[in-house]
Parts: sequence; structure tokens; C-alpha cells
Amino acid sequence: MKNQLTRRDFIKLVGAAGGGLVLAVSLEACAPDAPIPATVTPLSPNSTPRPPFDWAPNIYLKIDGGGILTVYAFRSEMGQGIRTAIAMMIAEELDVDWSSVRIEQVPADSRYGDQLTGGSVSISSNYSALRRAGAAARQMLVEAAADVWDADPAGCTTEAGFVIHPDQQQRIPYGELVEAAAEKEVPAKPQLKDASAYRIVGKSKGHFDAPRMVSGKAIYGIDVRIPGMLFAVIARCPVFGGTFASYDDSAAKAVTGVRQVVELDDSIAVVAENTWAAIQGRNALKITWDEGKNAGLSSEALRKAAKERLPQPGSKSDVIEAVYEIPFEAHATMEPMNCTAHVHDGICEVWAPTQNPQNVQMQVAARTGIPRGDVAVNVPLIGGGFGRRIQADYAVEAALVSQAIEGPVQVVWTRDDDIQHDYYHDLSVHYVSVERGRVSRPRLQSTGSQSLVPTGAWRSVENFPQAYPTQCFIDEMAYEMKRDPLDLRLEIYSDRAAEVTRLAAEKAEWGKSLPAGHGQGLAYHATFGVTHVAYVAEVSVSEDGRVRVQRVVAAVDCGEVINPDNVAAQIEGGIVFGLTATLKAEATLQDGRMQQSNFHDYPVLRIDEMPVVEVHLVKSDERPSGMGEMGVPPIAPAVANAIFAATGKRIRHIPIRPEDLRA
Amino acid sequence: MSSYDLQVNGQAYTVEAEAQMPLLWVLRDLLGLTGTKFSCGAGLCGSCTVLIDGEPTRSCITLVENAAGKNITTIEGLAALAQSGASTTSAVEAQLHPLQEAWLEENVSQCGYCQPGQIMSAAALLEKNPDPSDADIDAAMGDVLCRCGTYQRIRKAIHRAAEAV
Repeated sequence: MKNQLTRRDFIKLVGAAGGGLVLAVSLEACAPDAPIPATVTPLSPNSTPRPPFDWAPNIYLKIDGGGILTVYAFRSEMGQGIRTAIAMMIAEELDVDWSSVRIEQVPADSRYGDQLTGGSVSISSNYSALRRAGAAARQMLVEAAADVWDADPAGCTTEAGFVIHPDQQQRIPYGELVEAAAEKEVPAKPQLKDASAYRIVGKSKGHFDAPRMVSGKAIYGIDVRIPGMLFAVIARCPVFGGTFASYDDSAAKAVTGVRQVVELDDSIAVVAENTWAAIQGRNALKITWDEGKNAGLSSEALRKAAKERLPQPGSKSDVIEAVYEIPFEAHATMEPMNCTAHVHDGICEVWAPTQNPQNVQMQVAARTGIPRGDVAVNVPLIGGGFGRRIQADYAVEAALVSQAIEGPVQVVWTRDDDIQHDYYHDLSVHYVSVERGRVSRPRLQSTGSQSLVPTGAWRSVENFPQAYPTQCFIDEMAYEMKRDPLDLRLEIYSDRAAEVTRLAAEKAEWGKSLPAGHGQGLAYHATFGVTHVAYVAEVSVSEDGRVRVQRVVAAVDCGEVINPDNVAAQIEGGIVFGLTATLKAEATLQDGRMQQSNFHDYPVLRIDEMPVVEVHLVKSDERPSGMGEMGVPPIAPAVANAIFAATGKRIRHIPIRPEDLRA
Repeated sequence: MSSYDLQVNGQAYTVEAEAQMPLLWVLRDLLGLTGTKFSCGAGLCGSCTVLIDGEPTRSCITLVENAAGKNITTIEGLAALAQSGASTTSAVEAQLHPLQEAWLEENVSQCGYCQPGQIMSAAALLEKNPDPSDADIDAAMGDVLCRCGTYQRIRKAIHRAAEAV
């Protein structure tokens, strides 16, 4: 077979599978349209397995002698529900009862393809492979049962973990069939279910991990505990790109519980017996920073320079044009960055709440000098990712500190560290224009900060700064042309775009009469071009300029829906995430450092500011697209457009503050 | 370092700690009760909320010396959680508090990280006000932050639990 496992891979995978026997599968199984897991070979084909026998026909699942299905989750769970969705797709094709499903998270393992959880593609890029993995296993179980009965496999059916005889009377549970099924040839083209036969996909299954989340039993990265582990908190130069010039650690070392002070490249780690002592020790370091060449940077200057790179409004007479501005934004995940690492015996074990375990593996290997194959990256639950955890900086730190102290350590970031050392959503400026009188999508010209401030993916990435200026500007076009913003959009859009726009407007009673100071605003965006989302926001604006988003009606077309209530939850979450940026928080750079440090000056949306959100799903037979990020982009323009409808004020920057709207 | 007697979830513990050490770190790092979460460290987000003598309290800014001798309830103690080794079970059969059940019914949790603090804050609210209005919920829960945006469901879950009690 191709891609035969190495001994090391095998040991790792068995480790990942909690001791069960796992069989190998060719890598092609991961590609959406590749042939089915074609070549499956038992790693110990001639040995008689001892009970309990775990049958793993491919890298995605195993079934044990008790009929329990264990699904191997290979993408990171950060609240978007991917663990549940992976299990639902496999369980559906396998025809097992949902209560028989277990999920185990696999470590960094390239046989799963790129494990980067980003771009909202975890379902769309694995949809075929997961369904075929389940369907192939089901077919092998059917063949095994048919042998027992000497029946025609084609006449056998399956339901909730049983193969059912053509006579509809006799049935055998999967658990009793796994040994025989393991001897069967993996079918090249297993029969996939028709959507009309679905029992699990398309039904709301909540979050698999929710029972443990609500009882405090869920293990996030910061909850990992290794015998003998210490805790570290790190002092980093507040100016991006700076480093320490000199430091005095005598006071830090005098803090009760502090064990050691470790120098990293540009930062200093205080290692202690508990997190609190490490924080106290870090705070007691006396450091003279070498702030480097960024010490003079400010967002104001970066914004000004960005504006100058774009066409200047007023230079042409035959266009409608406008400039929109978006500041730096932080991720502010509720679980601060952290990572646990243990370098020992030439290997490195990592427990990283990461969206990108293979990147962690690669970077830890590069920085510690430990071969990549000897870096094992385990992925606990993640207390919010939003793109921040695609980076590997927190994991590299943990590995380096562990290597230095020769023992297990958890590096914990305080909230200040988190807000001030983010990979920010870049500041951006946008020039939008269209020929006067022309009905079409406007032209968007954008530029970022082009600075050395670290930037990275932030939930929906480029889609937020595309949707905000474009969708606000289409409103500006409508008012300029004395057209209704809905009518204008329906002239510009067709197909799925038009359908969600029309649906949101209809459900929100677009154009209904509202009290003074209230307004409706509409926006549509297809995030990454694949999931169509339209919002109608209704806002009220008080005399003193305070905006209250009363209600958001959403229409969503994400193709086939796997877990409907979770789609609604992702829309609610995307709206909240986007509202924080639209109305509340920005990260501002002054003297080369971020000025904000915690939730008092980087305020996120609160429950008393939460609008009523209504989500309407378009029924679709299209392949599923993605949902994790799609709720974010249209909310800023929907709200800004509603504010205009309520006040006549067109605010072309976010966050929109009361002072922008005071009468 | 001093010795402190703590009553956590009905169990007595004695810990050696600095007087200035916040209860949060005593729970998490000394007692291994990691259900109570660290997020802001400054009493701004509510993820670390526990009950001290029934009052919702930010454990990240509550010194251990001020918690000693009082009844502390964490998320782990909100209901008797029988199931151990639950990392691979899809159905936790343990007894749950009505709020925890309502949280599951309303599918509140996304990343779930802030939810222990949300639930403990809601438990304190229901203890005082068994049938809270939306305004009561806003007042009691306004400072408990959730970045995933589960607020609408938190509101529904509190109402649901109030009906169940």
C-alpha cells in the first residue's frame, strides 16, 4: 500500500486512539474527491486480536466490541461545533445511534491533511471523506452480517447500530460484527445515503462537549495538569519588535513560589510553583527595554499614511465615492493564550489550545532543535480562537521554557499580555466608488497598516473589511439615486445572494414604520464567497447618541445544513463578535505599543446590549459550505445603515461612538 | 505563607498560601479545581465567579484570607457530578443543577469557557429571585462576558431554569 505507516506513526496513532488497535489508511482518503479509503491493511494481520476488539477501518473512526463508535476529531474545537459535526457526518452514514458516539481528539498528524482550523472549511473540505469513511464501514458490517446469515448483502439494511436481515426480523449489533468486518475488503465506492434518509444530519445535536462544559469538567488548554509541572508568565517588550536591554530579577526571585527566571530571545520568563506566583514574579522584574525601531509608531500616523495611498475623494466629478476606516482589533478570546510543554528524553510533548497543531509542531521543532517527528502536539478544548490560535507563538514559548528548566511547564498569558501581544486584525482604509447613476457593485480599493505590528486572521479575515465599506456604500448609492436600499440590492444581486437578501427583508418586515430614532439597515455578504448571509438590523439611537441594536433578522444559505441550531448559534455569535468591533472596541497604537490592556478599555458586547437575533435558514441541496466566520461581516454595515436610517448620519468609521451621533 | 482552612463544595481543605493569593489560583493551582476559569484577572469579566456564602464573587480578586472559613461553591459543586472520566462520554448521566440542564436544553455553550462563571452568576440570581425578568437578568449578568456571543441563549436558559425550579 502507499503511505505505509512508519513505526513511529503507528505508536503515535495508537497513543492517540487510547490504546485501541487502529488500522492504516492511505492519505488519499483525506482528499474530498479521491477514491474511498482504498487500501486498508491491518498492522498485525496475522495475530488474533484479543477482546475487546476495536475495529478501525480508516483513520476517522473505530467501533468496539460493544458497538461504541469512536470518532477521531482532527480539527480544533473552539466553540464552532466541529467535533460534533464530524461525528454527525460519520454517524449518519454508519447508521449508529447518537448515544453510542464518542469523540477523541487526535494530535498533530499529517495523515489527516492540513489540520489548520480556519477559513470555515472544516466541514466543506472533509465532507466527502467523512461520509465515505462511515459508509464504507457500514458496508463492511453489512457484508459480515450477510455472511452470518448466508443472505444477500444487498437485501440487508442498517439502523441504529444493527444490521437487519432481509426478513426484517433478525438483527445483529455492530459490536458483534467488527471482527468479521475487519476481514472485509474496503469498498471502493460505498453507497452514500440519500438526504431523505438522514436521521442525524440536519437534526440539531447541540454540542457534544456541552455536558462537560456546563459542569466544569471540560479540559481547556489552561486546565491541563501534568505531574510536577510549573507555571510561567513572561515579560515581553511592550513595543512590537523590541527586546530587553538589561534586567534585574532579584525582586522576582524573592517572590514566594518563584523557582527560576529564564531568558528567551526577546523576553523573560518567570517560572513558579503556581500561576499567581509567576504573575507576581513577572511583575517584580525590573527591565530596561530596547524598544527598537517601532517605538514611534501610532495608529493615527498609520491610518493617515494609509489614506494617502488611496485615491483622494473629490478628484473626479462623475463618481460617487467614500472612504471608510477600520481600526486594529484584538481577538480577546476568553481563555488567554497558554500552552503546556514537556521536553524530556529528546522529545517534546505539547498540549496546545491551538487552531493549527501542525504549525505548532513545525515551529516547536524548529526552535527547540527537536526533530518534528518527536514533537507530539495534543489539542485540548479551546476557549475561543477567532484566528488568534492559528499562530504558534504561545507554544514555542512553552517549549523553550520547558527545555530550559528541563521539566513540564505551563505558560500562561495574563489578559494584558493577550490584548497587548495579539496578532491583530489589521487597521485598514477603504476607498469605494461607482460611476454616478450606474447600478452595479461598487469598486473597493483597500489598504492596510503596512506596519510591523503583528497582524493575522481575525474571525472572517478579509471579509469584514470587504463587507463594511461595500455594503455601507451600496446604501449610499441608494440614497444618492433615491432608491430603496433593498430594491437596489435586488437589482444588483441574483440567485442565492438575492434570495437571502429578499428573505431577510421579508422576515424583518423591511420598510415597516418605526418610532422616531429607530431605523432599519440591510447588508449582505458571502463570506469567502461560499456562505450567503443577509441581515436586517433594527437600531434605536438616543438623543445622546447611544446606539441600541434592538433586533437582527438573519437569512442564511450555507448549503446542506449539518447541525441547524448550531448554524443559528454561529450567526448569533458572529453578530456579537461583529457588534463589539462596530460599536465598542478598538486597539489603538501609541508609541509603538497597544494602549488597551483588559476588558475595561477593550470592552466586548454585554448581555444587556444583546439584540434579539432571529435566524432563517434557506433549504438547500448544495454541498455544505461553512459557518464559523460567516456571521461577522454583514453586521457592521447593517448597523451602520440602520443608524443612517435612524439619524441621517453616515458614519464612515468604526467603532461608531455616541460622540459621532450626538444631536 | 500561612495556612488557611477552606470549605469548598462541602469539603474541608487546608492550604498553604500567601495571604494575597486570590482564591482563583488556590482553586485552580493548589486544589486542582480547574472548572473556575481565569480570564481577566481584574474582576472585569466574571469567568471566575464562585459563590461565597451564596454571594456571586469574583475569585480572581478575592484574597484567600478573605475566603477562609466561608462556604465556597464552585461549578464542580453546583450539582453532584457523579460521572468520572467523562472525557469520551456523549451523555453525562450525572445529576445536574436545573441551570446546567437548561444550559444543555438551550444549547448555550459555544467554546464554553465563560460558562462556569455565567452559570454560577445565574445560580446566585435565581437563589435571590426565582423568577427574574429580562431586566433582572441584565442587571445580574451584565458584567459576565462571553466573546462567543451566547447571551440570547443564556437569557432563555435562565428563564427555562426558573420555570423548572
